Amino acid sequence: MKLYYFSEMPHHEFPDAEGDKYSSLRLELPNRFFDREKAAANYRRYLTEYELADRVGFDGLMINEHHSTPSCVNVGANMTAAILARTTQRAKLLILGNILPIEDNPVRMAEQIAMADLISGGRVLSGFVRGVGVETWWANTNPVHNRERFEECHDLILKCWTTPGPFRWEGRHYHFRHVNPWCLPLQKPHPPVWVPGTASPETAVWAGRLGYTYVPFLVPFDIARELFDFYRQGAAEVGRTVTPDDLGFLICAVTADTRARALEAGRHFVWRMGPTLRGPAEYFSPPGMRSRAGAQFALKARPRSLATMSYEELVAEHFIIAGTPDEVADRFAHVQRQLGVGHLLLEAQESRMDHPTTMRSIELMGAKVIPSVAAL
Amino acid sequence: MHTWVGGQGAPLLVLHGAGGNRGWTRALAALAEDYTIWAPTHPGFGTSGDAEWMEGIDDLARFYLWFIDVAGIGRPHLLGHSIGGWTAAEMAVMSPGAIDRLVLVAPVGLKPEAGEIRDVFYYTPLQLRELTVHDPATIPEWEELFARPPTPAEQEIAVRNREMTARLTWKPYMHNPRLAHFLPRVSNPTLIAWGREDRIVPVVCGEQYRRLLPNATLTVLDRCGHLPPIEQPDAYARLVRDFLTGTDRP
Repeated sequence: MKLYYFSEMPHHEFPDAEGDKYSSLRLELPNRFFDREKAAANYRRYLTEYELADRVGFDGLMINEHHSTPSCVNVGANMTAAILARTTQRAKLLILGNILPIEDNPVRMAEQIAMADLISGGRVLSGFVRGVGVETWWANTNPVHNRERFEECHDLILKCWTTPGPFRWEGRHYHFRHVNPWCLPLQKPHPPVWVPGTASPETAVWAGRLGYTYVPFLVPFDIARELFDFYRQGAAEVGRTVTPDDLGFLICAVTADTRARALEAGRHFVWRMGPTLRGPAEYFSPPGMRSRAGAQFALKARPRSLATMSYEELVAEHFIIAGTPDEVADRFAHVQRQLGVGHLLLEAQESRMDHPTTMRSIELMGAKVIPSVAAL
Repeated sequence: MHTWVGGQGAPLLVLHGAGGNRGWTRALAALAEDYTIWAPTHPGFGTSGDAEWMEGIDDLARFYLWFIDVAGIGRPHLLGHSIGGWTAAEMAVMSPGAIDRLVLVAPVGLKPEAGEIRDVFYYTPLQLRELTVHDPATIPEWEELFARPPTPAEQEIAVRNREMTARLTWKPYMHNPRLAHFLPRVSNPTLIAWGREDRIVPVVCGEQYRRLLPNATLTVLDRCGHLPPIEQPDAYARLVRDFLTGTDRP
């Protein structure tokens, strides 16, 4: 099983009492709480951590993107990918991902991903996501078009990578009279495509049909299995056999020299589960963004909101794994046995987890966990 | 398409707001004494069919101009509330000859010169109900319309209504920047009605419509929010009837 290091690049640099005054940290917390000096230092710090993860042997570095939220100030996944393309040597660069429905220019996106792939020597894994509702408010794209735009944006990006230009694109949501990108990915025919899932059966089926690597994020095991079944349905439609390499899973994880230290560090993930997901349902799911089937599955997928679970419960249900290297390796093996995945994505830094703790965790993962898990 | 039809007299086409078609309400029943009411449920709303191809209120306006032809209702008076009012205004600028008198009730469609149209998509249905009316205690049909918790079927319709409203009005939010340039074309006698306590669409939009429409009057109802047909059905029906019969003028 391959391991991926992931940091959301949080900006938890404001008093929690101030955050508590708002119904949501996303969209609402005023950006006067954005500390420019600390952000400048944090970005450098987070990149340093990614670079160490590359050196110690992580198979991949996962990068994501959000907007208008202190939970993730990585506001340009492709920008970060381009930096890491140059400053790392070996690990895959898993962009998971570009938020397609809010993108107005898929051609430029195709070019940017291609450029990161070229600079990195062909290390990009290109994830495409629908985004949470917050990004739809931020970009002001009509949520009822979310899935249509996701699919059309995807189709145009793939065409940019695989069909010689120039050509014209007249779709429903995208219109380009002249497509002829002078930047194509190094990997042929194009970088592997990854797709995350939290609740939409349609996305799982779609990814299965197209043969993309599919990764549920922070859902209970039984829900992940159901989503994998939808994925297999899609794969079966086109006569494709699903292997562990097609499936991944995302959890939060940290290790330390002692169990006590690891458990203390793991508490930082609670901020990500609770306060940063707090807010009106409308922010996360504006009208029409989810299909009826997706909405119903979402209710089922989250019988309990992560925000209502204690740290101990989150650990017990494997949303968070924290322990000595031996302990986390054992838990990772458990996840692998439960789900049969070939990729485990570790959200490995959060909230106010400090730099030394994060660096030590990365070192120990490299020295003790990765070798043990690689054979699974 | 689902359409309520009833009453007697000259045809009156009634276009509902984002909350959906509330059916044969007290105000409609009062107007039906003198007019033949045609109250369709917009495509994508209620139990009418889907219209996922529609992109904006101008599509709905073209659709209803076609509806007038197909229904064979001649040259009806046209009344629209909220997004239905915006639709009516778009129809009037597209084809002023296709309609007789025009009634716009708290229509969206214009960008307010001051303040903002409230972003209804941020709010839950319960919050919105609170915001749309001035004082629930004064609403005669409160029991029939709002007191009972919605059935699953009604909830599904509410979700549909909200999605179709988003489809039609998301961006630019609830207005057409070009509409103001076309409104001077509409010389049809026009009544604009507004609740003084409207917390969804600022009353200043009523002033803007009145200024831009060559033959319009604005009546502002006191102690009334965004739903005059529900909040003050009797005064509202009287106002509309007087206007349509022409008795409102010297």
